Amino acid sequence: MGIKVDFRKRFYKGNDRKKGKEPSFTVDVSFEAGNELVVLFGQSGSGKTTTLRCIAGLEKPNGGKITVNGTVYFDCHTRIDLPPQKRSLGYVFQNYALFPHMDVKKNITYGLKGRTDQEKERRMREMLRLLHIEGLEDHYPSQLSGGQKQRVALARALAPGPDILLLDEPFSALDMIVRMKLRERIKLIQKELNIPVLFITHNPVEAFTLADRVVVYHEGTVQQTGTPEEVFYHPKNIHVAELAGVTNIFDDAVFAGHVGKDRALFKAGELEIITRHIDLRTDERVSWGIRPENITLLNPDKDNIELYENHFNGKVMSIVNKGTSKLIAVGSNNDRRVLVSELSNKACEELNLFQGCSCTFSFASRDILIFV
Amino acid sequence: MLDQVWFPLYITLKISLASSLIVAILGTLISYILARREFVGKWLVDVLVTLPMILPPTVTGYMLVVLLGKNGILGKVLFDLTGIRLLFTWQAAVIAAFVVSLPLMVKTATAAIEAVDRELEYVAYTLGRNELETALFITLPLAKKGILAGIVLSFARAVGEFGATLMVAGNIPGRTNTMAISIYSAFQGGNSELANTLVIILVLMSLISMAVTTKLVNSWKI
Repeated sequence: MGIKVDFRKRFYKGNDRKKGKEPSFTVDVSFEAGNELVVLFGQSGSGKTTTLRCIAGLEKPNGGKITVNGTVYFDCHTRIDLPPQKRSLGYVFQNYALFPHMDVKKNITYGLKGRTDQEKERRMREMLRLLHIEGLEDHYPSQLSGGQKQRVALARALAPGPDILLLDEPFSALDMIVRMKLRERIKLIQKELNIPVLFITHNPVEAFTLADRVVVYHEGTVQQTGTPEEVFYHPKNIHVAELAGVTNIFDDAVFAGHVGKDRALFKAGELEIITRHIDLRTDERVSWGIRPENITLLNPDKDNIELYENHFNGKVMSIVNKGTSKLIAVGSNNDRRVLVSELSNKACEELNLFQGCSCTFSFASRDILIFV
Repeated sequence: MLDQVWFPLYITLKISLASSLIVAILGTLISYILARREFVGKWLVDVLVTLPMILPPTVTGYMLVVLLGKNGILGKVLFDLTGIRLLFTWQAAVIAAFVVSLPLMVKTATAAIEAVDRELEYVAYTLGRNELETALFITLPLAKKGILAGIVLSFARAVGEFGATLMVAGNIPGRTNTMAISIYSAFQGGNSELANTLVIILVLMSLISMAVTTKLVNSWKI
């Protein structure tokens, strides 16, 4: 069971298709998932919404195959292309898309065609209870708050008992607290219904906290699929790393040999950095990166600097307060490279940092990401 | 005098209501297709529907005569098959009113239907509803203000129709002398009493229908 997605969709500018020109954008996507919460994660315009629309049958792929729960929704070879009505799915749009001329009750029961009034009423009550919106059934969408609208849209999508739930950035217009509550609700609902739930977001926090599996998009293709830990701590390439919040990415590491049995030496500009073991040809140039929270600033009074791998001298260029932590931009003295370090407020206080002060920064060999 | 007033009023209402009914049904259908479907020659349909709005009504009328006359393309077929002659009947006036008022309906209603959020239709599809159900219960109800505005405009245009009607239906007393045509001929014949009466009735009728429509539309929340 679960979902198998493998399709291509080409987009053309104007009459380019008729003229036989190359498409201006291609979405070429392939991933598999079980009955779990799958987050499609990537920037705007990377093909996430196109994926949902193709699964829903609102757009027709140019090739490939889409299977949900053993039912083939689309198959280019056997020319299967079920209309949206025949695909058992719930779709929640970004702007909720509630029918403004119907009250909550009619909205929720709209997909329950052919059932008796009693059944409709019973199902509607179930949905109201599931989403904690009892008492709203006689309201019109214009009388609801953003969070309530979102819950009604979810109730409407779930009422017919779909095989899969598709959510297109459902929480982007909601405030933080409502968002957090609804995230928890979505997780619970997924567990309870045990169906695949596909959830689009470009918010890394949402992707990390919500997902059983993350599918990372970049410019129309899937870059990496895995658990949030895999994707965020072991990004496969620079695109995934950038999305996962690896702010420090450089493309200038040159392999210079092995250090002992389990480590390697790279030269990056004027810096010599030691990383975990990796086998490369000498002089091969690769990209490398490090998460801001993995760069520490050392305290010369307390820390024995010589015990730290990869320590360099630098200067604090700027300090940005994020509220719960601070971002410190550090310029290295060796070359003019700027790295961003994220430190707790307490650590900053102890170091007595200010703009322009000298500092020593360091990062562990195991935290360095190498993108071959 | 009474017949000179009542008959034009009666025949005008009959022609305008009949024309508006056809406009309401066909116009909504055409508007939906123009707003929601892509097909080859769409621009041509758009041009053909809009043309009578731009052409002088006499030109439209002349083209209808050529089309519907006993020797016309459609008129000949109709006459050969059924023996019916269309020209100089009230039905011909309905056709004239329909053709000249259709663009007002289609322009207004197409814009209204286009303004309905497509995602609402997509949601309905994913909830198992086909296109016809979706159009009838989602799209058209949400575009009803624009559709009604189109029908009202078309009705008003039909009531005021003069040129094309005169060409295809003439001015036959007791058969095709509509209000607009009767006013002109009363004025030409120096019967200012009759002209005044007809003008007052026409103005009052227009005011009342506008007031009723505005009240109705304002009572709709969406």
